[in-house]
Amino acid sequence: MSREAATDGNLRGAAVGPLGGASWRAPLAMLSAAILFVLGATAPTRFASEFVLRLGEGGLLLGILALSVAFLMNQAGLVALGAASIYGGAGYLFAIAISQWDATAIEALLLSFLIMLAYSAILGALIVRTNPLAFMMLTLAAGEMISHSVMLEGLRDYTGGADGLVVSFPDSILGMGAADFASPTRFWLVAWVAAWLAGLALWAVRRSRLGVILRAVRENEERMRFSGFDTYAPRLIAFVLINCIAAICGLLHVLNAGFVSPDSLGLQVSTNALVAALMGGVGGSTGPILGGLIFSFAQDQFSAFGVTQLSTGIAVVVFIVVFPRGILGGVQLFARSLGSRRVRP
Amino acid sequence: MIALLIANSLALASLLIMLASGLALIYGLRDVINFGHGAIYMLGAYLGYSVALVGGFWLALAVVPILLALLGVAFEYLVLRPLQGRSHIEVALVTLGLGIILGQIIIFVYGGVARGVEAPGFLSGSITVFELSYPVYRIFLIAMGLGSCALLALWLSFTTSGLYVRAVSQDPSVARMMGINADRLSLLVTSLSAAFAGVAGVLAGPYLSVDPGMDVTMIVNCLIIVVIGGAGSIFGAIIAALLFGFVQVAGSVFLPDLAALAPYILLMVVLLVAPRGLGRGRVLN
Repeated sequence: MSREAATDGNLRGAAVGPLGGASWRAPLAMLSAAILFVLGATAPTRFASEFVLRLGEGGLLLGILALSVAFLMNQAGLVALGAASIYGGAGYLFAIAISQWDATAIEALLLSFLIMLAYSAILGALIVRTNPLAFMMLTLAAGEMISHSVMLEGLRDYTGGADGLVVSFPDSILGMGAADFASPTRFWLVAWVAAWLAGLALWAVRRSRLGVILRAVRENEERMRFSGFDTYAPRLIAFVLINCIAAICGLLHVLNAGFVSPDSLGLQVSTNALVAALMGGVGGSTGPILGGLIFSFAQDQFSAFGVTQLSTGIAVVVFIVVFPRGILGGVQLFARSLGSRRVRP
Repeated sequence: MIALLIANSLALASLLIMLASGLALIYGLRDVINFGHGAIYMLGAYLGYSVALVGGFWLALAVVPILLALLGVAFEYLVLRPLQGRSHIEVALVTLGLGIILGQIIIFVYGGVARGVEAPGFLSGSITVFELSYPVYRIFLIAMGLGSCALLALWLSFTTSGLYVRAVSQDPSVARMMGINADRLSLLVTSLSAAFAGVAGVLAGPYLSVDPGMDVTMIVNCLIIVVIGGAGSIFGAIIAALLFGFVQVAGSVFLPDLAALAPYILLMVVLLVAPRGLGRGRVLN
């Protein structure tokens, strides 16, 4: 019976595939993505309250950070526990550049981005050659290093110690001033577009030659090296790439929030991003963004009981042990099982 | 001056040895880094605080390791064994999550404030050795640290189970082929590692403070030590803990501004010079 169903499915696939399948599916996906994009860009600012918008923006930013964590996890098999150090580090550099070095907003953005790029390239050069477990430990250690260095007594004049720094810039970035970035209705579009760009960029990398090599190295590094591939450079490039995205995310956050604090460098930010990634599913670009949004709204619910971190811990365990593919992966599996059931008579 | 420096770094290293060797033992057997180890240590410290309030420091030092050994048994049966088939990264993430949960429960029970534990009577003063006054408690700490180090070394070197542990750490598949029951060993090692964390927690009470952030600080320090020592190598971990203790103490004396960064600088230097760590264990790269 099942064999018949299988052949039936194969035949159907064979019949539909070359004729219509691929040709109508891609435009349909693009069309629905475009509709979703336009709807998401316009609808929330009209209908949602400022409070909900803020939660949504926080969710999108967390989703972008989760996207970076998920990409490295899924494509390279490496778990980065130091996402916060890049995210918060970029924010701090931006704030320092504005307040201490009298940079314009654009200069500060570029400068902080470039410094984070250089930092992650140096860090990556040191640590991507280790095995995944050591990588995880080392990213955690590097993250803690950054969060400790902000609190150093000698750097207090620069970083503001435990109080953090307030960021205010008089000029504008692409026509948006500080007040525009702080406004929930104006910032929504920025966060939304950034999330899409980050998702699309990583989607493209996933389908590129780099993605293929990364996955092959993840499966068996030794074999890839034996086959004459460089296994070091692709992982380094991936590490730097995801840190670029994390840095952009951190810069967006500081533009929106208007201040930086040591909290933004804390381990909690990294674990939140990890949970968001696990929650949505690390396999694609949609999952982590969705996970970030869910996390943001769920956190709002849980914080009423004062158990946010506890629920973060529980979420890590539950999503790894019970739902390793995340919510989106689970839904896909469920849909597929429904679909295959329908095929069977 | 130099003597004080060495004594202080030995005192700090004693705690770190107990914790890092526990981590390295589990890694050697199961290929799993227990990111929840810091939370177990914190649990030991807070339990030690509670028991010491009721029955004194010595009772805490006796009871808490036993309680935590039981926790280690539960950890082995409920976490490590059911997840044996999963990738090591996933198990490590689960231990990270469990560590967060445990830490939050402790904070929930005890409130987010730091607690102080008094050293028992005759350990609380200072004694004068070679014209140097030194706190007795730190000497006790060093004795405990070096003692547990020696016990661990004796166990690993001269007993059958120690031999098996070394064998599995060196080559798990061959060891299993030779008929070593890694599951039974792992039960022993996991409970031992949790018990050591308990001892370290209780000992940390009068030396450092018992506070809600101690788990993250300690796990990060231990991870650095395990990486420096070459993971899975217990002797490497011991050497690395001594080095780490020295660097941190010397850093706080000579470069107080940068002391917080000293461990990380050490880590980066070791990674640059010897990426595989100092020990000759089954290394992480």
